[in-house]
Amino acid sequence: MKASEVRGHLDGLLLSVLESGPLHGYAVITAVQERSNGVLELRKGTIYPALNRLERLGLLRSTWESSGERKRRCYELTDAGRRSLETERKVWREFTAAIGSVLEPAPRPGAAT
Amino acid sequence: MSAPYAPTERAADPIEAHVAELAAALHGPAREKDRMLAELREGLVDAAADLSADTAPDPGPRTGTTPDAAHEAIRQFGAVADLAPGFQRELTVAQARHTARGVMLVVPFLLPCWYVLATAAGPAAERLPHPAQVLLAHLGGTAAATALAAAVFLAATGPLARRLPTPDRLPLLVAWTGTTAAVALALSALTLTLASLLTANWPLSVLAGAVTIACHSKIAASARACRRCARLPVAAPA
Repeated sequence: MKASEVRGHLDGLLLSVLESGPLHGYAVITAVQERSNGVLELRKGTIYPALNRLERLGLLRSTWESSGERKRRCYELTDAGRRSLETERKVWREFTAAIGSVLEPAPRPGAAT
Repeated sequence: MSAPYAPTERAADPIEAHVAELAAALHGPAREKDRMLAELREGLVDAAADLSADTAPDPGPRTGTTPDAAHEAIRQFGAVADLAPGFQRELTVAQARHTARGVMLVVPFLLPCWYVLATAAGPAAERLPHPAQVLLAHLGGTAAATALAAAVFLAATGPLARRLPTPDRLPLLVAWTGTTAAVALALSALTLTLASLLTANWPLSVLAGAVTIACHSKIAASARACRRCARLPVAAPA
C-alpha cells in the first residue's frame, strides 16, 4: 500500500503505535511497518513533521533523551491524544463497516438461491 | 544539537550532506529548525545502521554504517524536494506562532505605558500635546487590535486546530498582522520622540519611545521572517 493511500490515516497510525508507551521517531516508523507486516509503505522522512504537528496540537508531548553522544526525541501520548485515538478508531470502524456492507453485502433473508 | 563530527567527516558523510541540503532549503525559527533536523539526522543514522547490519561485514567506526546503507536510508526517507514542503509547513506555522506570541506579549505591555504618558495628571506643561495624545490613542487601538488577532491566530494553530483546519494563508495573515503592529509601534515611537520636544516631562517620553522602538525592531524582524516563510511552498497536512 503506497504512502498516498495512507494519507488521511497517518495521525491515527502514529497515535496508535504510541499508545503502549513513548517511542522516538525512527521507532515509530518501524513500529508502523512491523504492525502492518510491511504492507504500509511510509515515506519515512515525512513522519517527523507529522509528529511535530501532533505535538503542536497537544496530542503528543516530547522529551529529549541522551544515549551516549546521541540525543533522541521521544514522543508519548497526552490525555487529549488518547481521546483523539479513540475517536479515530470509532470513525475507522464505522467507515470500514459501511464500505464492507457495500462491497460484501450480506445475503438477504428469504432471497432465492 | 548537531552531531559532534569533524568538518571533513561531515562533508564526506552522505547523511550530513543530505541534512545540510535540507537545512539550506528551509526557513523558520532556528531552534525549531535545528530540532527537526537533528531528529531527522538521528532517524537516518538509525535506518542506515539497520541496513548495514544486514549487508556489511565491516561497518564504519562512527555510526556503524556503510556509505551504501546511508544512501539507501536517504532514498527511503525521501529526497530534499519531497521532504522540504512538509518540514517547511511546520516551520512556517512555528514562525507565525512566534510572531503572534511576540505581538501578544509586547503590545499589552506598551499600551498601559502610552496611556499613563498620554493621560498623566499634572501641570499642562508635563502632559503630551493634545494631537500627540489623539495619535497615540489611534495607534494604541490599532496595536490592541493586532494583539487580539494574534491571540486568535495562536489558538487557531494550537489546540483549536484539532477541530478546525488551519487555512493555508493564515501564516501570511499573521505576517501582515505583525507588520501592522510593527508599523504602529514605529509611528508611536516617532510620536513620543517628537512630543518629548514639546513637553517638560521629556525624559519619560524619550524612555517610552526608546522602549517602543526596541519592541518595534523585535516584532518587525519576526514579521519579516514570517512573510518570507509564508511565501515558500508547503505540503498539505497528512
